[in-house]
Amino acid sequence: MGRKVSASLRDALVAEMGNLRAFGVSLCGDKERADDLVQETLFKAWNHLDSFKEGTNLKAWLFTILRNTYFSERRKRKREVEDADGSYAARLSTHPEQHGHMEMQDFRAVLVRLPDDQREALVLVGAAGFSYEEAAEICGCAVGTIKSRVNRARNRLADMLGLAEGETGQSGDDLGLTKSA
Amino acid sequence: MVVVSGNKKDRRRKMPGVKEKMNHSTESGTPADARIAAELGAELETGLSPNLQAHIGRHVRAVFDEVAREPVPDHLLRLLNDLERSGDK
Repeated sequence: MGRKVSASLRDALVAEMGNLRAFGVSLCGDKERADDLVQETLFKAWNHLDSFKEGTNLKAWLFTILRNTYFSERRKRKREVEDADGSYAARLSTHPEQHGHMEMQDFRAVLVRLPDDQREALVLVGAAGFSYEEAAEICGCAVGTIKSRVNRARNRLADMLGLAEGETGQSGDDLGLTKSA
Repeated sequence: MVVVSGNKKDRRRKMPGVKEKMNHSTESGTPADARIAAELGAELETGLSPNLQAHIGRHVRAVFDEVAREPVPDHLLRLLNDLERSGDK
């Protein structure tokens, strides 16, 4: 059921795989599962390439597919087994490959504690390079909803990191990510 | 210290055929301009200092880019080849 695809479209698909994996990890907190999501996304994208207009936003289209795949699977799974609260955070924080800077570990630990919708909005706008409008299309909600989710996410992160609002005069890097709460 | 802000742009520049497709959402200026404008608007709404916003932004990008920059697993790359081959039949 495959079809011939222009070389540029194929290159573009390959080029987005890293971003798709990163988005998948930010959603489910697990690299293996993220890879499964990317795989399914590629399958679906390939089989629906005729519904994609070349020249429009391939990246946003792929992100939308991956997101919808994740949430529909999660709904199914939830019906089978109630996912215990905090299982996502537990998975991420115990991931053996994830090491590096202490500050980064702390940050990752609070990032996973954001509500799903806030983390998703923050990652799309703050890391994946989408505009608020694009993020709204990907999530199927209003632009204002994305903006408020991003704002709430930032405030909540600052709060969890113990970075009080209005604390200025420090350079960004010595704000010290102490784990409170 | 985590410095990643420059890398994403560099990476995007290397993606053939993608950059052009990202431009559709803004009528004036580059997407980056539009994003900066949007960010400034958001700053006014959050009440967080620009320093703090930048700090959070850097870390969110760092967490994302850490995975995004990893080599794509072979089985995912092979999948595309398989899909293409199945289309030739």
